Amino acid sequence: MTAKRVSLTVNGRGENIAADGLTTLQQVLREALDYNSVKDGCTQGSCGACSVLVDGELRIACLLPAGGLQGAEVTTLEGLNARNSTSVIQQSFVEHSAAQCGFCTSGMIVSAQALLDENPAPSRDEIMEAISGNMCRCTGYLPIVEAVASAARKLAKGDGA
Amino acid sequence: MAEYLLPDTLAEAGEMMAAHGRSLAIMAGGTSAMRCGTCRGRRGRGIACIECAGPRLVSVPNSAYVMGIQRLGLDRLEADNGVLNIGAGVTMRNLAASDMPAALCQAARRVGGPALRNMATVGGNIFARQPYGTVAAMLLAMDAVPVFTGPDGSREVALAEFYTSGAIAAGLLTHIECPHPQGRLVFVKCARQRFAGPTVITVAVRIELETGGKVAAARIALGGAGETPLRAEAAEQLLIGEKLEAPAIEAAAAAAKAACAPADDPVASAWYRRRMVGVYVARALEQAGEGEAP
Ligand SMILES: Cc1cc2nc3c(=O)[nH]c(=O)nc-3n(C[C@H](O)[C@H](O)[C@H](O)COP(=O)(O)OP(=O)(O)OC[C@H]3O[C@@H](n4cnc5c(N)ncnc54)[C@H](O)[C@@H]3O)c2cc1C
Ligand code: FES
Ligand code: FES
Repeated sequence: MTAKRVSLTVNGRGENIAADGLTTLQQVLREALDYNSVKDGCTQGSCGACSVLVDGELRIACLLPAGGLQGAEVTTLEGLNARNSTSVIQQSFVEHSAAQCGFCTSGMIVSAQALLDENPAPSRDEIMEAISGNMCRCTGYLPIVEAVASAARKLAKGDGA
Repeated sequence: MAEYLLPDTLAEAGEMMAAHGRSLAIMAGGTSAMRCGTCRGRRGRGIACIECAGPRLVSVPNSAYVMGIQRLGLDRLEADNGVLNIGAGVTMRNLAASDMPAALCQAARRVGGPALRNMATVGGNIFARQPYGTVAAMLLAMDAVPVFTGPDGSREVALAEFYTSGAIAAGLLTHIECPHPQGRLVFVKCARQRFAGPTVITVAVRIELETGGKVAAARIALGGAGETPLRAEAAEQLLIGEKLEAPAIEAAAAAAKAACAPADDPVASAWYRRRMVGVYVARALEQAGEGEAP
């Protein structure tokens, strides 16, 4: 089998990565590129802790073969950190105690950012649906829903961009 | 480790299938297939994962070659000449947002969470382990016909027959054809959560009423109630010529419940699934009966 290499952009930086066989994007991001916000929770698509954006769309990195991502633009929470709107979401998570152990938090914030990019004024149901693929074993979800709702309100008032 | 192939054309895909035969597995969104590859042997620890607990193993991680379908342009959704044409590579997100019949869009929206729906395809759903196959159950009620292309040319087989004959893929599934559905379509899913709840069972019905409100044609498809999505044919028969009212609905629900063969899994017991088949078939038929009779 020939060693396969793939060129893609991760958080705005060009990378050329080894992507043999069915190596997952999660493995590449965590092990080769050290983006540890991409958590390894279940490797089964069930917990959402490895959520990232690929070409702006939410994806589950543990089920995505990196070999198919030639030319893709991948964004992890590390990359979103540069965005003011993500800081607003993070601040709201702090204010609403929406992070306890923190294991789910990076995936939650990536999902929340993906929601607000598409729908800046989500209803409570829309927030619950947006984070429904992300498991949290600590908070009981309500503080997270509050945090996202509050971030959306702040952003609508122009507290971020 | 499998070699991951990404053909750009159907001709190239055909050559790969011919060259590698049984050592090649097809992968679409990978949301079922990749799980086996990344599974840490949960089964060995006594926790049966849904993918390997099922009767038919997803062969992807054990194959020498895995062929991804994403560059084949199988993501078209069209409705013309009274036929719906749904590409195998259409994602749940795109189906849910499309102008396909509302019940079909609702079924797509009930598959997992948003990230999953950005990846999971309609084609992959046809082969999903039970109790998955949420969209497949709806397509079964719509008399859908999967169309395959293989080394011997293209083959189509009615979805109902595909399932009763063992659900063996005849090559690459390119698209699903479906007559523009006549009558009323209803989709209901039983889960313990409103959003992204693991499936207990799903029920999809299509009912044609004649003047006077009597049932002229009926399809009742069940997901999570057997080894594949299946039709509750005895229940369908009981409805023909009847009005969609309590006695006929109760009889059909009882028949569907009696005929299904659900499995136990960590989400629900077979006993509970069977009870829910009765409850949800009745609910779906009540919904189909709402509104003015023709
Ligand atoms: C967290 C989670 C939640 C889920 N929730 C649901 C749910 O609520 N309802 C539900 O129905 N499913 C659910 N699933 C299962 C799965 O995501 C869906 O069934 C999905 O539609 C599978 O599509 P895919 O494109 O990812 O298939 P893949 O994983 O790529 O393929 C699945 C199987 O189909 C075969 N296949 C795929 N495409 C083709 C083709 N074009 N031609 C020939 N063979 C093909 C593959 O060889 C493989 O055997 C869930 C999965 C996860 C991880
Ligand atoms: S680690 Fe990817 S979904 Fe759990
Ligand atoms: S804060 Fe612990 S899992 Fe969510």
